[in-house]
Amino acid sequence: MSSIEIDRVSKRFGPVEVISELSLRIESGEFIAFLGASGCGKTTLLRMIAGLETINSGEIRIGGERVDHLPPGARGVAMVFQHYALYPHMTIYDNMAFGLRNIGAARPLIDQRVQQAAKILEIEPLLARKPGQLSGGQRQRVAIGRALVKDPKAFLFDEPLSNLDAALRVRTRVELARLHQQTRATTIFVTHDQVEAMTLAGRIVVMNNRKIEQIGTPMEIYGRPASEFVARFVGSPAMNFLPVSVAGQGGRALLALASGAQLQTNIALEDLPSGEPMRLGIRAEAIRLDSEGSLPGKVEVVERLGDRTHLHVRLADDSTLIAEDVGHSRAAPGDSVNLRIDPDQAHLFDAQGRGYRAAAEARS
Amino acid sequence: MAHAQKIVGRRAGDRVILGAVIFLAFLWVVPVLWVLILSFKANSELMLSTGSAFRLPYTLKNYADILASSGVFRWFFNSVVVASLNTLATLILASLAGYGFARTEFPFKNVIFVLVLLGLAIPEQAVIIARHQMFTDWKMHNTYLALILPGLSNAFGVFLMTQYFRSIPMDIDEAAMLDNASRFKIFWRVLLPLTIPAQATLGIFTFLACWNDYLWPLISATKPEMFTLTVGIASTQTNFAQSEGLGFLMAQAVFAGLPVFIVYLFFQRYIIQAVAGAAIR
Ligand SMILES: Nc1ncnc2c1ncn2[C@@H]1O[C@H](COP(=O)(O)OP(=O)(O)O)[C@@H](O)[C@H]1O
Ligand SMILES: [Mg+2]
Repeated sequence: MSSIEIDRVSKRFGPVEVISELSLRIESGEFIAFLGASGCGKTTLLRMIAGLETINSGEIRIGGERVDHLPPGARGVAMVFQHYALYPHMTIYDNMAFGLRNIGAARPLIDQRVQQAAKILEIEPLLARKPGQLSGGQRQRVAIGRALVKDPKAFLFDEPLSNLDAALRVRTRVELARLHQQTRATTIFVTHDQVEAMTLAGRIVVMNNRKIEQIGTPMEIYGRPASEFVARFVGSPAMNFLPVSVAGQGGRALLALASGAQLQTNIALEDLPSGEPMRLGIRAEAIRLDSEGSLPGKVEVVERLGDRTHLHVRLADDSTLIAEDVGHSRAAPGDSVNLRIDPDQAHLFDAQGRGYRAAAEARS
Repeated sequence: MAHAQKIVGRRAGDRVILGAVIFLAFLWVVPVLWVLILSFKANSELMLSTGSAFRLPYTLKNYADILASSGVFRWFFNSVVVASLNTLATLILASLAGYGFARTEFPFKNVIFVLVLLGLAIPEQAVIIARHQMFTDWKMHNTYLALILPGLSNAFGVFLMTQYFRSIPMDIDEAAMLDNASRFKIFWRVLLPLTIPAQATLGIFTFLACWNDYLWPLISATKPEMFTLTVGIASTQTNFAQSEGLGFLMAQAVFAGLPVFIVYLFFQRYIIQAVAGAAIR
């Protein structure tokens, strides 16, 4: 297994720059997810690592060795394509053996590797079949198997779950996690689905607009989004945003909401830009029903998820937000309620979308 | 209820279509059967009345006469050689050109592709005199090469194979690249096997067209030993074939069509796909 370093890499398609001066270090054995909206350049970045796309500037190193001038086959990485890209006319066995045969591996070694991978992926009974005779989920396993037999320096996955139905997607997700725990292989996993990124990755690279928006563990990304983009992209339901004006109170930001309510936070005032309009970002789980709460509103929609309930509440200033209640919520549409916001979970975003949080030690 | 009615309605529609198809097939098969029956009748009997076709006796004499005519086996052999080599060479060239247009970049690619397509619009008759002159200058008439070469500039073949290669997802090439396959190996081991349906379509059409070709072999091959079957058989017909040798004429038609019929039997599935336009995919 090898580390992967991406050093100030840029990529243009004609006049359009899709990756701009991007740098990133992926540790050996790490499972990292590239997360971002469709069209933000995730696939392009992955293909540049694989060697399927040239780079316009910068360097890519795998295991310390510079590879950006090498053809794909010489880089020692394996890729699992979004549409699997199995060889339709070859048997499953031959699909998996093809790469090893091309490097002149000995027949017993090929056989041993293929059998072993087939066993791990539970596709042994399928080895004599052709891809056309397999279901989507089975093809997916074969595609993973084809990568596995090569014992690559890194695995590259491009949205591998997007063609599976919902139930199979969840199951395959768990299997990928298990597989990574077994193999400890360096893995890059491209997805636009924040749940996949959150559940699978050790670290998430959130990409937006040609650049890396934030890199962090799933809980860092979720709990301390560096920007409004990240905050909106990660978490379901999406974070609530409310315009606020900021006043000082003992060095801590005191927020005045448009509806008149006030919220004392632990966010250091000195960190904040002065005189700019700010937005409060707050997740549903940080907003609770509380008869003493300072934020009155009217319930419009009640969404029951079983273990919890999402309440869509209209505030006095006509803005809406989503609050979370227990599974057996007694709220009903039309109810007047009072909400309480947990100030420790408040985020502030400035006009540029930069995020501010209370320092971890300030919250006790 | 509504659903059941719809099915019944569809069945009725199917029956109308089936009836029409049977009718058309009947229209088509009547002359073929007529040719077949006449070919088994003695010429002298047919001279009196073609109505005798439905009466005994029948005879194999016309076929015996064909086989007895000195050149026929040679012509048959010539046709097999010319049609087979032409087909093989066309498949090789069209596959290579199709791969080139679909998967590589080179200067003026699009211009050249358009030029190839323009070739589709030029009828053979428009260039055949110039071509004849060219082969005369090269002193190549009455050779197999002269019969084969002109067919190799097969614009339709290049177009078909280009489209077919384009329909294969680039992912497949890329997966093979990551599997350390060379460009040749990707062409030969990964992509070419996937084009077999298109190869079959192109191969059948090319073979049939070449087998049935008459004009070019007629003017290029002037020595009887270089005749193809179509030209050779036509050369044995007398001026009064229609009136004096009708049975013989019909037997010749059956004989010349036989290989085509056999090819059809073997490749029926591909031909039907090709005609239905389903071969590409
Ligand atoms: N071969 C190409 N030629 C031109 N533009 C491309 C090409 N590949 C991708 N792009 C463009 O680059 C941007 C990033 O694409 P991609 O990496 O596929 O995004 P993602 O995988 O995040 O959805 C998109 O705007 C896309 O249109
Ligand atoms: Mg993509």
